[in-house]
Amino acid sequence: MSGAATPKAARRWLVALSLVPLWCAAPTSASAQNYIPQDVPRRGSLVLSGGVNWAPGYDLGSSTANETRNPGSGTGPFVLFQTSTRIESAPGLQGRLGVYLSPTISVEGGGLFSRPDLSVRLTGDAESAPDLTATERLNRFVADGSVLFHLVGASFGGGRGVPFVFGGAGYLRDLHEKNEVADTGHEFHFGGGLHYWFGEGKHRAGLRTEVNVSRRHGGADGADTTRTVPTVAGSFAYLF
Amino acid sequence: MKSERSRLLVLIAAVALVAAWQIPAFAYLKLGTKVGTRTVTLKWSQLPIRYFITDRGVSGVTSTQLQQAVQAAFATWDGVTTATVSSQFAGFTLANPTSGDGATVIGFQNRPDLDRTLGATSFMIDTVTGAIVESDIFFNSSFAWSVSAQGETGFFDLQSIALHEIGHLHGLAHSAMGETELRAGGRRVIAAEAVMFPVAFASGTILGRTLRADDIAGIGDIYPSASYTRETGSISGKVTKSGKGVLGAHVVAFDTRTQTLVGGFSLSDDGSFVIAGLSPGPHVLRVEPLDDGDVESFFDPTLNIDINFRPQFYEKVVVVPQGGGTSGVELKVVAK
Repeated sequence: MSGAATPKAARRWLVALSLVPLWCAAPTSASAQNYIPQDVPRRGSLVLSGGVNWAPGYDLGSSTANETRNPGSGTGPFVLFQTSTRIESAPGLQGRLGVYLSPTISVEGGGLFSRPDLSVRLTGDAESAPDLTATERLNRFVADGSVLFHLVGASFGGGRGVPFVFGGAGYLRDLHEKNEVADTGHEFHFGGGLHYWFGEGKHRAGLRTEVNVSRRHGGADGADTTRTVPTVAGSFAYLF
Repeated sequence: MKSERSRLLVLIAAVALVAAWQIPAFAYLKLGTKVGTRTVTLKWSQLPIRYFITDRGVSGVTSTQLQQAVQAAFATWDGVTTATVSSQFAGFTLANPTSGDGATVIGFQNRPDLDRTLGATSFMIDTVTGAIVESDIFFNSSFAWSVSAQGETGFFDLQSIALHEIGHLHGLAHSAMGETELRAGGRRVIAAEAVMFPVAFASGTILGRTLRADDIAGIGDIYPSASYTRETGSISGKVTKSGKGVLGAHVVAFDTRTQTLVGGFSLSDDGSFVIAGLSPGPHVLRVEPLDDGDVESFFDPTLNIDINFRPQFYEKVVVVPQGGGTSGVELKVVAK
């Protein structure tokens, strides 16, 4: 096996990425006849990874600053101004340490950190205060744990590319600006990804890419709110 | 009234007006008085507040119905979990609701000369401690009153006006959380989001029987309960214009999650303000000036209240910590 990815291998790599959701739904149907090297990760193998992630922005909803209208002076509440709140998209960092329980199953723990802006768009002031977007920067931490199922049967590139699916749960901690106020919550996540190893030995480096869908409850989004937040990530990984 | 300490009778012009000259504004405000060189908040030092009801009804309202409406209004304030106020009906009396007799008396009084005043609250305070020792409330029997559960067209709801006046009795001044419009002979309220707004809703409605977030924050600020200290927070800072403090600016905090409005004023020459009793979480801030017509409803008219600046929002989201405060906010306003 050569160490450099051929154009064909690269194509297959891209195809494999696009198939991740399919594998999630029907992992057994994607098996392929690939050569699997002897030194696949074994029980007790560790994998350390670190890289970057990105989460898109999402709306937290709109609200109105209403006053109670005096009967006879109109209908409906008097709107003083309106707000629309968002968590803006932001890149982040992540790191994980995993241990293989078998060649196909590993568990890992890790953390994510990002600094998204919490923004509130203020419009429609009853006394013509200029529209404005008020912001603050969050320090967002997620500590989580996952179980990974490595789809060895769907590996490619001579066993270097190994897709995986995963699921787990985590703890959220959003620190508001000045780090004086913390909003906490929890999350459940699942997703799929790919390990691509640059070698075959027991110790090897590689790349990891993944798509993660997190179902989050609490945090800066609000104590009683639950939202679905996707994240894409790319990391360097080291197996030992 | 006998006392070892000198006491000063202070008639507060804290009244509910039918069509007074007011403008839109926002905030709760506490009543204060000078004790020596310092200003102290007017409040009761002894609870429960024991009050008497004048045993005299008016057309459509018996003295018993008056007592029930007043008791319901007191119960509304007593029910605020973030405050420690409590009250007790002490009985009927033949005394008029006038200050100086040592008893807190609430009742009707015929004041046709006050043709825009639905009710008024007066105080007797201890000038050494600032503690309220007596407070009286009169409802102007020149107006038509009702205690109907649904309200009655053409009649002012007694419980609503009692709720406002009892807010004064507790030490709250007027809130500016409301909007008005100019009409012949004065202004009419368009909307309000505080029972303590100085202009009453139209007759026939009972909307004034419900306390709003601004009222609740205000009463908790004066009589904080353990839950007030534990569960609410504050925002403090200053309002400046060209680097100098702005006195009398309205600053309102809006909680985007609970959609509640609570306000405060900049109360010193350096523009400092504090808004307390806020729900924890992100808030946006808005500042606006008082117009000339508002000043006397809120401040001593001799104060140099700055009204020459434009309403605006603060550019940062301010997060209120539970049981704590966020400080250092500076709202920089610009002249009109």
